[in-house]
Amino acid sequence: MALMRDEINRRLEKVFQDVFDDDRIKLVDTMNAGDIDEWDSLMHISLVVAVEKEFHVRLNAAEVGNLKNVGAMLDLLVRKAT
Amino acid sequence: MGTQIIAQETKGILAKVKTLIAGNRIEEAWTALKACAKPDDDFSLQHRYFMLFNKMPHDCLGLLPVRVAFLASSTVDHFIEAFKFWMAIEGYFAQIFNSTFNTLEQAAADADGALYAFKPDFIWIFTGCRDLNLAVYPGDSAVLVREKLEQCVERFTRLWQCVRQNSFSIILQNNADAPQIRPLGNFEGQVSWGGTNLYRQFNVALGAAAAAGVVVLDLDHLASEYGKARWFDERYWYHSKHAFTLDASGFVAHQAACTIRACKGQAKKALVLDLDNTLWGGVIGDDGLNGLRLGHGTEGEAYVDFQRYILSLKNRGVILAICSKNEQENARLPFIKHPDMRIKLDDLAVFQANWNNKADNIREIARILNIGLDALVFVDDNPAERELIRRVLPMVAVPEMPQDPAEYIRALDCHKYFEMAAFSLEDAGRSSMYRENAQRTMLQQQSTNLDDYLQALNMQAVIHAFDDFYLPRIAQLINKSNQFHLTTTRYSEAQIRGIMKSPEYVCRYFKLKDRFGDNGLICVLILKKMAVGILAVDTWVMSCRVLGRGMEEFVQNEIVKIARDLGLSMVEGYYLPTKKNGLVKELYQKLGYELAEETATRSRWNLAILKNSVLHKTFIKTVPAY
Repeated sequence: MALMRDEINRRLEKVFQDVFDDDRIKLVDTMNAGDIDEWDSLMHISLVVAVEKEFHVRLNAAEVGNLKNVGAMLDLLVRKAT
Repeated sequence: MGTQIIAQETKGILAKVKTLIAGNRIEEAWTALKACAKPDDDFSLQHRYFMLFNKMPHDCLGLLPVRVAFLASSTVDHFIEAFKFWMAIEGYFAQIFNSTFNTLEQAAADADGALYAFKPDFIWIFTGCRDLNLAVYPGDSAVLVREKLEQCVERFTRLWQCVRQNSFSIILQNNADAPQIRPLGNFEGQVSWGGTNLYRQFNVALGAAAAAGVVVLDLDHLASEYGKARWFDERYWYHSKHAFTLDASGFVAHQAACTIRACKGQAKKALVLDLDNTLWGGVIGDDGLNGLRLGHGTEGEAYVDFQRYILSLKNRGVILAICSKNEQENARLPFIKHPDMRIKLDDLAVFQANWNNKADNIREIARILNIGLDALVFVDDNPAERELIRRVLPMVAVPEMPQDPAEYIRALDCHKYFEMAAFSLEDAGRSSMYRENAQRTMLQQQSTNLDDYLQALNMQAVIHAFDDFYLPRIAQLINKSNQFHLTTTRYSEAQIRGIMKSPEYVCRYFKLKDRFGDNGLICVLILKKMAVGILAVDTWVMSCRVLGRGMEEFVQNEIVKIARDLGLSMVEGYYLPTKKNGLVKELYQKLGYELAEETATRSRWNLAILKNSVLHKTFIKTVPAY
């Protein structure tokens, strides 16, 4: 499971880098909107849409808003991702 | 799987664009980005396109500023990214004002508010199906339904009047995207009180109510074209009030940008068409009238429908012009004689059929019509011609055309080149007006940076003695070609086999490949060793599809080399005129031969072979095989 989480983390990091157009972004579980300047509520949606694409998941409406930090995203993706 | 491969390719291009921007090579970056972006790419890609575009210094891109204010009843912030990007693709730098969410009436009424202070060129009333509160019940009478619909439309006409009192902006008004969900099912489309029918009636009424200065954006059509099951994504409505899926952003943005271009009178005006394999299947000069695929058969029907589509453009005011590498007489023949031609000579404003390069011809067409090159769309099945025009005349729109004529209409239509925002009877008559004005001087040679183009084609040729494998193709070329055929010799396969084996003859075929693909075996040469040191060109036949690429000079160089290797002192060429080979009448003269003898049926040309004979410049590289 840990390995899978690492793999998801790697792919998620690439999604962050693409969405924020910043290759220097490195993910840690506690990272949240406060840690990336551009991570506002609008960017959050761009981010979630990109996550849905990358991992072929469909998040439900409530989940879209609840992904407050990287750890929460990883937890959700470990459960849902294919 | 297929889309994933494409996505990988796109990612590679985007990485390249990023590097180009970092290296301050903005124009190249923009060209690459423009070529790779498609309106129906998903939102994540649209987002990245926008981010890259946003990093470019916009003043380098030559964009015209346009101010657009959004009055929206849904969240449009993400859409605006895509909109700015697609506006840029259409040549505009969109400056945006986004009014507070869902305050349409208040913002429109506030004469001193931020909306009018922004001085928008366009005010986009961005609404959709959720803005109609149609309290219609099953069984309501047609009269009652009409009254309720009128009230609905009135909300918008009042809004427009309100805007008009405060501003001269053009109003873009979305109509209603009829929902995918139908509580009453299929029956909704049958009765006037049925949900689906209510949206339809509303949209018709809204269009009818639109006064001058109001342009209805047909959101319902866009939703249908995109596919309503994909279009509606309730999750993002509940979560963040996005009216339709973010993935449709580029698609809607592209349409809006094209509509805005039409409002500004900058839509394309003329369609420049190739003939062979574009308007009909086959090559008129070689296949003849009866050999064309037009009218019946799978391809024949597709070409007829393509012509019909072109005619509907013409009937609304798009000017048609022909640009074809052909003899005039041949090119005109189908228009006069073929029973299945839908386009007639009278539909065409300019008819350029000659052997000049198409860039010169298109310049000439623009000059004759007295319109800008940027008002032209050029349609040609030949990828090399398309690439030439893209390079030499980048302001001309050149859609990529598919192999299959069945897909021609889509390939042209999807670009929305000829959007219109209004229609007058003048539009309908425009093309004949241009035609009458266009009877002026033609022909004006002007070399472009053709050399760059030829260089970039990266042409490679194989030169080889005849062999059994290619014998059928060799015979076909010799016996079917009419145009580039100096002596119009006809030899059966058996005869060719004899020639191959005879020590008197030197035979060569040429295959040509370029960066777009393999043109195949396109030239055949039969040389005969005569007495007293003369090498005679018995047969020189070439496929017309490779004209204008310096193949003639390349073949000539080969003739010279062969003569030299054989220790012969002279090459003798013949031209036997026919109705169809006028194209090569001056070939030998052009290649430096001297006229030795001329009669009505034959001219004879000589070229002395010296040790230091200079070869012609060529951009074609000889390779042993490919």
